Amino acid sequence: MKPTAGAANEPSADGGQPRYRLRLFVAGDEPNSVKARSVVSRVCDNHLRGRYELEVVDVFVDHQAAIEARVLMVPTLVVEAPAPQRTIVGSFRDEEALLGALGLSAAGERS
Amino acid sequence: MEDKHESDVVPSVSLEKARTYIPGLDDILEGGLPRRRTTVVNGGAGSGKTLLGLEFLYRGALIGEAGIFVGFEESVEQLRQNAATLGWDLLAQERSNRLFLLDGRIKPDTLTSGEFSLKGLLAIVSGKSREMGAKRIAIDALEVLLRLFDTPRQVRSELHALSDWLQQADLTAILTVRPPSHGPSPFEDFFDSMGDCVVRLDARVSEQVTTRRLRVIKYRGSSAGRNEYPYVIGERGFRTMPISTVGLRHKPLGEKISTGVARLDEILDGGFRRGACILLAGLPGTGKTILASTFVAGSCARGETVLYLGFEESEAALVGNVMSAGVDLSPHLASGRLRFLTNFPEAMGTEEHFMRALDRIEADSPRHVVVDAISACPRMGGKRSAFEYLMRLLNACKERGITVLFLNQLSGANDYLEISGNDISSMVDTAVFLNYQQCPGETNRVLQVLKARGSRHSNQKWEYVIRDSGIQILDAYVGGGDALTGTLRQRQEERDRIEAQRLACEIEAKELELKRLRLAHAQAVKGMAPRGDEP
Repeated sequence: MKPTAGAANEPSADGGQPRYRLRLFVAGDEPNSVKARSVVSRVCDNHLRGRYELEVVDVFVDHQAAIEARVLMVPTLVVEAPAPQRTIVGSFRDEEALLGALGLSAAGERS
Repeated sequence: MEDKHESDVVPSVSLEKARTYIPGLDDILEGGLPRRRTTVVNGGAGSGKTLLGLEFLYRGALIGEAGIFVGFEESVEQLRQNAATLGWDLLAQERSNRLFLLDGRIKPDTLTSGEFSLKGLLAIVSGKSREMGAKRIAIDALEVLLRLFDTPRQVRSELHALSDWLQQADLTAILTVRPPSHGPSPFEDFFDSMGDCVVRLDARVSEQVTTRRLRVIKYRGSSAGRNEYPYVIGERGFRTMPISTVGLRHKPLGEKISTGVARLDEILDGGFRRGACILLAGLPGTGKTILASTFVAGSCARGETVLYLGFEESEAALVGNVMSAGVDLSPHLASGRLRFLTNFPEAMGTEEHFMRALDRIEADSPRHVVVDAISACPRMGGKRSAFEYLMRLLNACKERGITVLFLNQLSGANDYLEISGNDISSMVDTAVFLNYQQCPGETNRVLQVLKARGSRHSNQKWEYVIRDSGIQILDAYVGGGDALTGTLRQRQEERDRIEAQRLACEIEAKELELKRLRLAHAQAVKGMAPRGDEP
């Protein structure tokens, strides 16, 4: 699946803000994966514009990537940067849950 | 595909089976695990279920059936190291693409939020299986992964998905599960229902010794051994021995072979019989080990192989001790015809002792096995265990036509039960009793054959001496109903010419007397004793 490096090349609005590198493992079009993709895309667009890279991996297409990342459950979001690395398994109950996991409090990020 | 192993196909049942190649297990499973189906292996901590799954794949890989191992508890490196202690080179199989180890441990940085499924796992194993042309899979400690799910409903739904996937996959699967330590698991029934075959492993401790038992709970479409079967984690892996099938395939006794002592061969009308169970019983210092070693050296010199199971002393100590009595075992050790397996009885349970011995018997195919001594075996974990060990060892040897020498160290009493040792007397074909004979001013050694199945033999007591050239049996004389030994025997020799005739008469009289007594006894037994004898 093509990495959707949404606006990652644009210069960051705020130089002090950390850049995010995310990998989302999905299984084709099954409902949990579809939901996770939409939640992750929305959060990236709304909160990380200009400072994230998102790669979406379909485990049925690239099982080797899943082996290397030790991803047995889908959907799984691996936050590779900023450190420390985190792994969030599941379709996310809501955006708040993902924001919390990314260390972005919803209120604080909105300008 | 199916042309390579005829033995894989069991003709009597329609169900095709995949041999595990685990010694003993295929007998219990009547051919192996159900091919292209799932077997659930249920067992607690330390029961060896991980090993069973891994060995199934490793042995499969050795015969060219590729396999995938999914482990949720141990790292790939740990698995390789554990396997290496059993002599399995997993890495070699991994490199030749016949084995793949998937590290399924949950990463410590993992959080969960919302719903998820095992599809990642299924994608990996599907992809890998296609790549390798896998035939086998083992999924180990699945319950660890299932802990990530919040509700029983989710767990059930995932198990259904896994079960469906396994059913359509062209793989023979082992799924190992550890039951919860307390209380019933809500999924236990479901796990069992996922398997066409369900095997339960049970490790319990009795008399400080771990005993492991295996039971086939169910086997859809096939019969299987219904008993509990002991198994061990031996030096080369998982081993089981179906007790109830032993004893049916004993080889008949073979030809006479030399005991290594010419006079003893005469006494036994030619020697020991090949494939017999021979008991050498005696007090400490009577020369049991020397007599056994003399037989061993003679057998090795004929080009035959011997396995010596030692429980009393080290290999070096034993070789040194018998060397001082003129028996040199070292060239036979060097040629590999003689192999020792020495362990303290307390070092492990009877099953492990047995399996280790069996490993060597299978690997080396010895013609003769010496057990030195059976009197040490109760220290493995009780009299009952010792009996089981010896019976099974004897059965294993009898099935293969291997001669067995049981040495039995007596504590003093000349009680026949003790001489025969651990209630195995009915299995003993030949019993030789070594004893001390107290005479005025000296103690001598005497030997007596108490039993020699299928042979004529002498019941006399024979004096013998242990010289630095080995065991030498001297002539025996019957006088006054007992054997004469040492100085008394020499005096007797001087009087020999004069007394010869009288002695001959006396012997004859004794034999007649004995005959009369036997007849009287036989009549008494039949209840046909003459009326005149009644009071």
